Amino acid sequence: MSKLKLVDVNKYYGEGISRVHVLKDVSFSAKAGELNLILGPSGSGKSTFLTIAGGLQTPTSGKVLIDGIDIEKLSSKKRDELRLQKIGFILQSYNLLPYLNVADQFKLVDRIKKNGNVSSEAFDELLEKLAIKKLLKQYPSELSGGQNQRVAIARALYTNPEIILADEPTAALDSNLVKTVGQLFQDLAKKEGKAVIAVTHDLRLREYADNVYELADGKLTLSKNSPDQ
Amino acid sequence: MFLALKEMKHEKLHYGLIVAMIVLISYLMFFLMGMMLGLQNENDAAIKEWGTETVFLNKNSNDNLGQSIITRDQLSGKGQKNVALVGQAPVVLKEKGASKESAQFIGLDPDQFISREKIKITSGRQAKGNNEIVVDKSLSKKGYHLGDRVTINSQNEKYKIVGFVNDAKFSVAPVIYGSLPVWRELRGLNSSAVASGLFSDNKLSKNTYPDLQHYTVNEYINKLPGYSAQNNTFTFMIGFLMVISLIVIAVFLYILTMQKISHYAVMRAQGIPARHLIIATVTQSIFLMVCGVIGGILLTLITSVAIPMSVPVIMNWPLISLMAVGLIVLGMIGSLLPVRMIIKIDPVQALN
Ligand SMILES: Nc1ncnc2c1ncn2[C@@H]1O[C@H](COP(=O)(O)OP(=O)(O)OP(=O)(O)O)[C@@H](O)[C@H]1O
Ligand SMILES: [Mg+2]
Repeated sequence: MSKLKLVDVNKYYGEGISRVHVLKDVSFSAKAGELNLILGPSGSGKSTFLTIAGGLQTPTSGKVLIDGIDIEKLSSKKRDELRLQKIGFILQSYNLLPYLNVADQFKLVDRIKKNGNVSSEAFDELLEKLAIKKLLKQYPSELSGGQNQRVAIARALYTNPEIILADEPTAALDSNLVKTVGQLFQDLAKKEGKAVIAVTHDLRLREYADNVYELADGKLTLSKNSPDQ
Repeated sequence: MFLALKEMKHEKLHYGLIVAMIVLISYLMFFLMGMMLGLQNENDAAIKEWGTETVFLNKNSNDNLGQSIITRDQLSGKGQKNVALVGQAPVVLKEKGASKESAQFIGLDPDQFISREKIKITSGRQAKGNNEIVVDKSLSKKGYHLGDRVTINSQNEKYKIVGFVNDAKFSVAPVIYGSLPVWRELRGLNSSAVASGLFSDNKLSKNTYPDLQHYTVNEYINKLPGYSAQNNTFTFMIGFLMVISLIVIAVFLYILTMQKISHYAVMRAQGIPARHLIIATVTQSIFLMVCGVIGGILLTLITSVAIPMSVPVIMNWPLISLMAVGLIVLGMIGSLLPVRMIIKIDPVQALN
């Protein structure tokens, strides 16, 4: 069964003449245990796709199902709850709160989601893997772009979400770190059975993906299938 | 609490400025309140000391004790149970080696309740006969001492100060307690004039003296010359400061919230409930107000210790606490505007 499903999603922005059709009849399904990559040029609607998939905004038409539940039918409170419990968002920008140091970014999560977060050993390992262990006392303004991005990845994974939605997670990373993150995402899918969806124009992530889609002109097409499908 | 405190810690300057603002506003409010009470006291301390409940004046006195003369026949032959005859005259006190002082002469009957019960001597003794007087303690700082012989107005007569009393103030002048015959002399009246007014520490009805104008103590005090004008001015200023503090906190929080919309959006995207963010904002607002008000109270405390005695300021701490609570409540109201904004934040809009 698919963890996350989009059915005939259309998204328009604006009104009248300035109305733009950003997503055109997009259908998509992500299974647990798979890493899905959505490639597309800038402005093709990748962020739009991801925010709709994560329930941050509603499609103009079509449905978004998470574990078979139509999220539009949920109250906004329930949707918050769903995001908190099941979804790890790695946003394209502004992921960290400027007034919390790195350690406190995670403490904040602990205060709101008290159970089911990653164990302290797993957390340690995650920090190690992303090479951000030494940054715990730093504030976001004291981090480089790539360090920020890696903390944001750790922050999203901290709640141990079933679905990971990542928007350009490797934009600011060098080749070595791209490998690390690609491997990390693959492990999350394969070893921990998570549904990982990353949108990017970074072709270096291709090799880790089970499925690769292309988003162009608002249309989503499958370009590479996992061999076992 | 976590978010609220961390944020204030990180943005010390911003939040420090708001607190400084509230410190100054609350300090000004407390101080104005102190001045208002101080001036009230200068006007009505003596009347309060007497435990006054009811006042009778001449019907044509235009509510002014100084303009009022009560004659024997106006008492309608009724007794003077529960009342005291009070003769008032504004005077100038003089003594060699001391400064001239304006004062209020209050002539009393030694057998009536004010003389017997209400004049609490702090040093010396009660006055006896016509040539002894008891005066307000403030005069002791102006060079007047126990045993001094002083002149009143341009009389040849000398009067001996035999005692000092606390809180004997009337119409912003120190009170000199003496006898009714002396009062008559000072005002140049004959013996048909019995007093300026009748004061009672009981609640007496209008009908007690039908020929006289009846006042409850509050009616009377509010009609003291300048008294209500003064109070209204202060009350207006304090009320205005309350409104300003509400605006200050609301506007500052509004601006801060505007700047933080993207942060809120991130948190909303991560599934942090709006309720949590609202609690953080309201907590912040209460915290800012509490800090500001505590600062204001501290400044007030320092001032009340440091201020020279001649400035009439009375710090009524229960009242100040009440105002402090009022300010904190205003802070909560001030945070409602940003709370509305937080509820309306659309995470997607904010993230672009
Ligand atoms: N809130 C909005 N209102 C109007 N138009 C919008 C809005 N958000 C996005 N768009 C438009 O929709 C299109 C897709 O935007 P989107 O952010 O999804 O692209 P993207 O693929 O993520 O681009 P990038 O790779 O640069 O992040 C763009 O043309 C953009 O101008
Ligand atoms: Mg984007």
